[in-house]
Amino acid sequence: MRFAFVLGEIASGMRRNLVMVVSVVLVTFISLTFVGAAGLLQLQIDQMKGYWYDRVQVAVFLCVENSTSESCASGPVTDEQRTAIEAKLKSPELSAYVDTVQYESQDQALVHFREQLANSPIVEAVTAEQLPESFRVGLVDPEKYEVISEAFSSQPGVDIVSDQREYLEEIFGYINIASLVALGIAVVMSVGAILLIATTIRLSAFSRRRETGIMRLVGASKAIIQLPFVLEGVIAAILGAAIASGTLWAVLRYGGQWLSREYPQMGFISTQELLLVVPALFLLGALLAGASSLLTLRRYLKV
Amino acid sequence: MLPSPTPARALAVLRGRRIAMIRFEHVTKVYDQKSKPALDGVSLDVDRGEFLFLVGASGSGKSTFIRLVLKEDRATRGAVYVAGQNVANIPSWRVPKLRRGIGVVFQDFRLLPNKSVFANVAFAMQVIGKSRAVIRETVPEVLKTVGLEGKNNRMPHELSGGEQQRVAIARAIVNKPGILLADEPTGNLDPTTSMGIMKVLDRINQNGTTVVMATHDDDIVNTMRKRVVELRDGSVVRDDAQGIYIGTTTAAAG
Ligand SMILES: Nc1ncnc2c1ncn2[C@@H]1O[C@H](COP(=O)(O)OP(=O)(O)OP(=O)(O)O)[C@@H](O)[C@H]1O
Ligand SMILES: [Mg+2]
Repeated sequence: MRFAFVLGEIASGMRRNLVMVVSVVLVTFISLTFVGAAGLLQLQIDQMKGYWYDRVQVAVFLCVENSTSESCASGPVTDEQRTAIEAKLKSPELSAYVDTVQYESQDQALVHFREQLANSPIVEAVTAEQLPESFRVGLVDPEKYEVISEAFSSQPGVDIVSDQREYLEEIFGYINIASLVALGIAVVMSVGAILLIATTIRLSAFSRRRETGIMRLVGASKAIIQLPFVLEGVIAAILGAAIASGTLWAVLRYGGQWLSREYPQMGFISTQELLLVVPALFLLGALLAGASSLLTLRRYLKV
Repeated sequence: MLPSPTPARALAVLRGRRIAMIRFEHVTKVYDQKSKPALDGVSLDVDRGEFLFLVGASGSGKSTFIRLVLKEDRATRGAVYVAGQNVANIPSWRVPKLRRGIGVVFQDFRLLPNKSVFANVAFAMQVIGKSRAVIRETVPEVLKTVGLEGKNNRMPHELSGGEQQRVAIARAIVNKPGILLADEPTGNLDPTTSMGIMKVLDRINQNGTTVVMATHDDDIVNTMRKRVVELRDGSVVRDDAQGIYIGTTTAAAG
């Protein structure tokens, strides 16, 4: 009885206050979408770290005809130099750091280059001679890039030592910024949502002051008097969370699909990651609405 | 001045044989410091089953008395007891329980305009968690008590003022309170209709409910011949067992 009664009160309250309820739904929807986006971007970074840190290699590029670095002053790498470099990479001193060593010839470099830039017109103009041969070194600990860099940067025949991790860190930096921007928008929008919920509950309490006055007089408990108002805010916020979740799902499902097709080797997060984010959104929405309506009622609803 | 309940009554209270339903001990209520008190050292006992008229000019403190019984406000000085309990000692979460034992009726009815007669009365039971079955059984009974059989499904705007007040009374007594407080319940009604309402209140009183009614209606007071307490500027100036409305402050009533 009490349950049915509270449900009835909520329904009539929300009907009377429909415009405000709709705006609460929309504002929580926007704010929670940005909260979710910030969370998903962090998950994306984690995912890429997990995927790429195992695969990143240090590339030791060898001199070609038009290399400009000092160690290439004597021209393209010679056979002896190449043998010396390979021997040094496989030497006992470096074995603690080096996991794998792979040689990539100029022809193989051209094949990889063409694969990576399949749709670009420059591919036609590039020949194998322009691309450097290289040793691809997998490290035991990817953080220890410095060791290889120091050991080889002035080695004769070595043009440049490059760490793929640097590119990744740069990408992560951009994603992090995007995630912070999303979080900033989320915070501002959440403040807006809290204020709007407070106003809505206040109006609702005002428009139903006759009912609540009678409830008080006949001895209804504080909980029964306040519950319909609090739930009104919470339900609106949960609707907002549901729409936000749907939006994030659609973005991941269709946007993610497109991205993975364009950049197959990047390791994008999938709709699975929503399983972590969505419950958090619902919880956050319910908490925001519950807390702000309770605080409002303490001031504006006599019990 | 010392409080002056009759010695017999004071003795009975001391022995704990009879506990007053409502008891005011030197109660003073000051709303704001600048103006004089709304109630000024009021001492009064209302026994179980009594019918009491609270009379006095506008602003003499009648509504304030009622608000203090309900713990809508707190006494500035003195103590208010309801059913033997000092309301100042009731924690806020227990106040609903106090109010379940008290029914209230006002001059302006205070019905919910979008609910039927039945739903208005049922509302008072729903909000304290009574089951649907109990509500379906009790509400028609109470509507019959106040003389509203067959009007269950009317909306408040389809009722006369007297009928609306009957609905309000039904709502006030549906949870079987021990006390019924009525603040000028006939204030908006013509004399004939008012007498009808008084019959209902009298019947409720006959069933054992203590009734306190604040009123300006001299006809009613003079016809009913119940206990009359007159307030003037917040003080009790008259307490007659079977009083009339107008009287000099020293009038002896019979
Ligand atoms: N909430 C309040 N704040 C300040 N003063 C109040 C408040 N309520 C009542 N008063 C003052 O207290 C005094 C007593 O008011 P009360 O309402 O008890 O009178 P009353 O006897 O019920 O009058 P009436 O017959 O007009 O209803 C009045 O002077 C009034 O102005
Ligand atoms: Mg009054």
